[in-house]
Amino acid sequence: MDLVIALSPLLAVGFGGLMLMLAEAFGKPSEEGISKTTGDVVDAGAGRGAELGLGASVVLIAGAVMAVGVWIVGPETLEGVADVAPYLLIDRFSLFFTFVLCLGGAFTALLGGGYLPEHRIDRSEFFPLVLFSTFGAIALAMSGDLLSLFVGLETMSLGVYCLIGLRRGSARATEAALKYFLLGSFAAALTLFGAALLYGATGHTDLVGIGEAVATIGQPDSTVAAMPVLLALALTLAGLGFKVAAVPFHQWTPDAYEGAPTPATAFMAAVVKTAAFAILLRVLLVGFGEERLMSWGTGWPPVIATLAVLSMTVGNVVAGRQESVKRMLAYSSIAHAGVALVGVAATIRSTEDATASVLFYLLVYTVSTAGAFGALILCGSRGAEAVSYEDLAGIAKRHPAAALAFSLFLLSLAGFPPTAGFFGKLYVFQSAIDSELYVLVIIGLVNSLIGAYYYVRVMVYMYMREPVPGAPVAKPMSSGMVTSAIVLAALLVLGLGILPGVSLDMAIAAAARGG
Amino acid sequence: MGMDGLFSIFPPEDFTLLCVILGLPLLGAFVNGVFGKRLGKEAVSLMALVAVGGSFMASCAAFFMLMQRQTETEAARFVWHGWKWLDISGNGDFQIPIEIAFSVDALSGGMALIVTGVGFLIHLYSTEYMAEDDGFHRFFAYLNLFIFSMLVLILGDNLPVLFIGWEGVGMCSYLLIGFWFTEEANAVAGKKAFVTNRIGDFGLLVAMALLVWHVGALDWQGIEAGANNLLTPIKIYPLGNGVPAWLPDFIRGPLTPEDPRGVRVTAATLVGFALFLGCAGKSAQLPLYVWLPDAMAGPTPVSALIHAATMVTAGVYLCCRMAAVFVLSPATMATIAIVGLATALLAASIAFAQNDIKKVLAYSTVSQLGYMFIGIGVGAFATGFFHVITHAFFKACLFLGAGSVIHAMHARIHDVDRSQDMRNMGGMRNFMPITHLTFLASCLAIAGLPLTSGFFSKDEILFKAYTSTIATPQVSDGEWIDRSTQVTWPAMQAWTPPEDLGRWIYTLALLGAVMTAFYMFRLYFRVFWGEFRGWTIVRGWVAPAGGHHGHDDHEHDSDEPLDGPKPHESALQITVPLVVLGVLAIFAGGLNAHAFFHSHLFDDWVAPVLATASSSVGEIEGAKEMMMPLLLPGIGAFAIGVGGAYWVYVMQRGEPAASFVEKVPWLHRIVYEKWRVDELYEETFIGAVDTLGDMAVWVDQYVVDAVVARVTSFAVAASGTILRTMQTGRVHAYGAVMVAGLGALGWFFIAPQAVVTVLADDDSGVYSVTASPGLGYQYRWDEDGDGELDSDDFGDKARVDVQLGRSEVRLVQVEVKNALGFRSIEQIGLFRPQRDGASDGLAGAAQEAKEAADSAAKSQKALQDIQRVLQQAGGNLPGAGKQPAPKPVGGAP
Amino acid sequence: MFDLYLPMFLMFAIAAGVAAGMFSLGQFVGKNPQSAEKLTPFECGNDTEGAGNVRLSVKFYLTAILFVVFDIEVVFIYPWAALFKGLGWVGFASMLMFVVALLVALVYCWKKGALEWEK
Repeated sequence: MDLVIALSPLLAVGFGGLMLMLAEAFGKPSEEGISKTTGDVVDAGAGRGAELGLGASVVLIAGAVMAVGVWIVGPETLEGVADVAPYLLIDRFSLFFTFVLCLGGAFTALLGGGYLPEHRIDRSEFFPLVLFSTFGAIALAMSGDLLSLFVGLETMSLGVYCLIGLRRGSARATEAALKYFLLGSFAAALTLFGAALLYGATGHTDLVGIGEAVATIGQPDSTVAAMPVLLALALTLAGLGFKVAAVPFHQWTPDAYEGAPTPATAFMAAVVKTAAFAILLRVLLVGFGEERLMSWGTGWPPVIATLAVLSMTVGNVVAGRQESVKRMLAYSSIAHAGVALVGVAATIRSTEDATASVLFYLLVYTVSTAGAFGALILCGSRGAEAVSYEDLAGIAKRHPAAALAFSLFLLSLAGFPPTAGFFGKLYVFQSAIDSELYVLVIIGLVNSLIGAYYYVRVMVYMYMREPVPGAPVAKPMSSGMVTSAIVLAALLVLGLGILPGVSLDMAIAAAARGG
Repeated sequence: MGMDGLFSIFPPEDFTLLCVILGLPLLGAFVNGVFGKRLGKEAVSLMALVAVGGSFMASCAAFFMLMQRQTETEAARFVWHGWKWLDISGNGDFQIPIEIAFSVDALSGGMALIVTGVGFLIHLYSTEYMAEDDGFHRFFAYLNLFIFSMLVLILGDNLPVLFIGWEGVGMCSYLLIGFWFTEEANAVAGKKAFVTNRIGDFGLLVAMALLVWHVGALDWQGIEAGANNLLTPIKIYPLGNGVPAWLPDFIRGPLTPEDPRGVRVTAATLVGFALFLGCAGKSAQLPLYVWLPDAMAGPTPVSALIHAATMVTAGVYLCCRMAAVFVLSPATMATIAIVGLATALLAASIAFAQNDIKKVLAYSTVSQLGYMFIGIGVGAFATGFFHVITHAFFKACLFLGAGSVIHAMHARIHDVDRSQDMRNMGGMRNFMPITHLTFLASCLAIAGLPLTSGFFSKDEILFKAYTSTIATPQVSDGEWIDRSTQVTWPAMQAWTPPEDLGRWIYTLALLGAVMTAFYMFRLYFRVFWGEFRGWTIVRGWVAPAGGHHGHDDHEHDSDEPLDGPKPHESALQITVPLVVLGVLAIFAGGLNAHAFFHSHLFDDWVAPVLATASSSVGEIEGAKEMMMPLLLPGIGAFAIGVGGAYWVYVMQRGEPAASFVEKVPWLHRIVYEKWRVDELYEETFIGAVDTLGDMAVWVDQYVVDAVVARVTSFAVAASGTILRTMQTGRVHAYGAVMVAGLGALGWFFIAPQAVVTVLADDDSGVYSVTASPGLGYQYRWDEDGDGELDSDDFGDKARVDVQLGRSEVRLVQVEVKNALGFRSIEQIGLFRPQRDGASDGLAGAAQEAKEAADSAAKSQKALQDIQRVLQQAGGNLPGAGKQPAPKPVGGAP
Repeated sequence: MFDLYLPMFLMFAIAAGVAAGMFSLGQFVGKNPQSAEKLTPFECGNDTEGAGNVRLSVKFYLTAILFVVFDIEVVFIYPWAALFKGLGWVGFASMLMFVVALLVALVYCWKKGALEWEK
């Protein structure tokens, strides 16, 4: 019974997904707007996007609530937890991520519930896919073993491939899905290869065992060879670097983000990235947490730091050159991955504080970016989507609330106080200073300045520009679900910005039990 | 008993009644602000009145509960802890939690009563006064919000919460000054108040930072408990390196042979000055008083509530709150008293020449605030605070009375300036008996008629100024060591004010009292006595079509003589507050009537709260006996001032004043133009800032924009473009980049990384060199610096300790072999610096410095030598830089 | 470590070498006369018509992928069956969940019409 309680968030999302799948298959098509585009098969879920989206978000919020419940009960007190270890580790670290992932998934479901009907994308399997993908993401964040890691990674990714290619009629979406699929398989193969090397070198698939085996290298009676471990580390970093969209493993990001329906983009930016960071932290700190591999000279911290610098710089610099807002947000997500990597690199000294800062940053980023994509969705309607900066010109007059919300999320992404993004960046940079990574912090701050430019540019267009006469402009849509998602995100962005204490304490508690 | 019931509902440690006190005005502001337009005027005024009235009742309840609990020695204090807001890192390894917490004790309880009580009366007054304004609901929303902010300020349990309220009242004040924002002058006045207050807020923020650093607490109890930490001496360099010798020690600070520069002050002085800057901004003291008279552009009830009775006294409240900090620094106390005195005199002198009824009252407010600060500055915190309360009564009454008169003037004169000009008034006592009587009562109180409230509070301040002394705190017991420079200092003595300072303050303040009585009665006689000068009164006069005009369409009346009706007394909503306040203005002094009745209820009431501070305040010998002798000049001041005004403006009908203006027009003009302080600021500070701004604009335009911005933006844009071209959209290109990235990662791990860190101990000369650990790494070393690696075999030794002699240079090498057998060599040059005299550490250097000073015999050169030696000693602390490695002389593979 | 895998590497190398050698040998040693006759697809019979490759209906792929999916079920059930006794009720419950999940998937496919060949 303990185990059921402990696994309740995961089980809820999984069973919710199954139920939703059946509901989608057996439900009656909505009278209005029965799709003609689904080919031969009459799609039973046709026109039911809003209902299914609501169901999915309820399931995901239930998952988040259950994660909070388990947190309050305390995973340490549940004895059954040991039965599934190390395949699934139920500790505060994974519970924190479960909460964040469920939250991100819920935002996606709410956004999808408004977006899909508005844009006549009658693919109701969107919602079961979101649930299964989130399921995989949670499993990934919980996994403490290379086997479950891979299964979780693939479960998460497969759903996302489909989500991207949801608009079957659109060549761009298909291309995006195919690209992500090909490169994603490649990255998964790299991860798998690394896992195989690790198993070969150490004889373990669980991260703790691997960590212990790696620690024996150099001792006289050690049977573990150093080279496969190092190669495995490189391969794992490349594979997970792909999922978090760190430069130079980032190039799929703008194409996939742009081609995907916007809710799916939000999902990729929020959920996939967060889950990948969860497992990256776990693998690096547990599997490769050995002193020699965590040293500044020879281990992974300099690599992570380099990736961080590249990601921040390339992400921000290129984001400034984009004409499409969605693409700009894609590059901004690369830059944010860079900032989070700064926190990962900072684990070198003050491990727990730095881990906590990454956790908090991911929470903040999830909320802010989901909100930003939500606001982008709200700003456009069918036939008058908000794509380029020009589309958004003068939107503040046409829909002040949407413009205000969008500005709030952009400010949070740019890291202005008193929004959540400010504290996220503050804690990451603070932990980097504690680890004496001053150069990283300086580069990060310079990048924040560059970043502010293109975020503010959106606001300039929204508030200070008038649309060019005759040019297409975005017409805001109206959807209760999108609005509620935005309101929730805005409350969180402000709440986390004004009262960062509670969630930061939780992140610290999570980090203490994650490392 | 009812009180027990109250205590069971609101236990002192979780005093939720505070939420009621705070919540009601906030609710009122919310309802009126959001729904006000739809609610209609009745509902809006009801909401506003109920909110403030309820808050007042709750404050009363809290006050009675305090009375129940407070004893003679122990202060009662009820707290409500909201939630933890944030953690601040303190000086050292601990966190200072900042809570959203509110507390009420004798001081804040009394202040809350005044704010809500007087606030309620002014709300009531406003329902009539603002009745015809379009922004009725907006006005009440702001007013309620102001009450809320003021209560946050008063009841906040720590400085950050107080600061929220502090900014909140500032914002409300700004909004209400600019309430008729369509008028240019109002907008400008609002801006001026805003900017001036920012300067003060800066001081408050600095004070908070200093308190965090030195005391490690920001809540009242913590600050009071840790206040003694503020007696740490601090060295500051206000004038940079060269301190002219002719400056007094007070500024220059005592010189020491080790470091002739800089001034030593206590942290208490710094904190005190910073806090007082904040208080001076909010409470309109020199040099930041200029905003308050302009703030009278707002509606009259606002002037009464915010700019006379409550908000401006926030600075005095804060001074009482932080009394325990202020008394630690006699220099700060003296400064406060002197600034208060100067403000009181300056403002009183300006009030002589003003014709605008509200301007006179505004300057009188500034002047009275000066008196309160005199009280604070001489250590009479309770007395200063008592003056806050009496002043709240009579000044609110005066402003509301003035409003009532202006209201009457509006019957025919709609221009703001002219309706407030007392040259257009006169004889009002015949038309407005209630207004007249209450106004007279308040005038008598402020002028100090014996037995009125103003008499007891003001003359007590004068008495205390003469008799109080502030104990000089013991700063440091003996020698102390500066943590940053490691220099030992002799014991430091705090600055002591000159002995006759109190006498001077007393005398000059007495002069101020004469001036106060004179200008107040000048105002009174000109408004209420004599002939009515506004318009020709016609019996049965009927308003021409169009009727009464609202405030926002001020037609500019022509200068032609007008006809009009008899000015009439105001409605009940206006007169009731007037009567209540007038009665209080007369009789409230009984609470603290030391002089004749030996009543000191109020002093006893706040004494436990101020106990810590009061313990540092003493009095001169024979103070008790001086009470009557010191009182008589005060009564004399009243008599002279009032008598003079009566003689000039009633008996001589203003002739002497007119002839005086004719004889010395320049003096009148300069006083009328407020000593041209605004112009002075305009020319100096604002001008300097403008020039600076112009320069910045120039630099921005021609340097930053032209060069820096273009270059950086070009660089960023160009690199963006280049990187964008890599985004080809071809999936195999993406794959190739990934593979290249993977290759780079792999290369990093396969290549051996010989990274070396050095830890040097200069005293022993042991330099330990550590090579970074790496998985599967092996090392061999060249320790002795002969260019040959010491061993042919690789080992596990990742660290060597090298012993170096003075000024020895050695090139250490390490070769690393990784798991694949790849090797890499790293060289590092070690150098141990030579030290003059070969003794170790700074002590030796200081020893030498002394010798140098002795031999060079008191000349300027000696100082230079000392500085040079110290700089060398400090600058060349143990270090091992990476030397440019010389080419290995063979042997290296 | 290299010692251990050396024979295997050698085997791979020899295999690759032999294959490459065979192909290149034919290329280099054999004559390669080119003529119009030689380049026609068939040297006898009729000329070909239509596209060379046959387009299969997407239904084949769908069926194939569904087969693979459900085939995996068996792959999982085999080891489970072998250890059934040792796993006890927990193992039974786990497998039950797995089967239910697949069942739901099957129902979904069915309902969506993925199993119908002719519509």
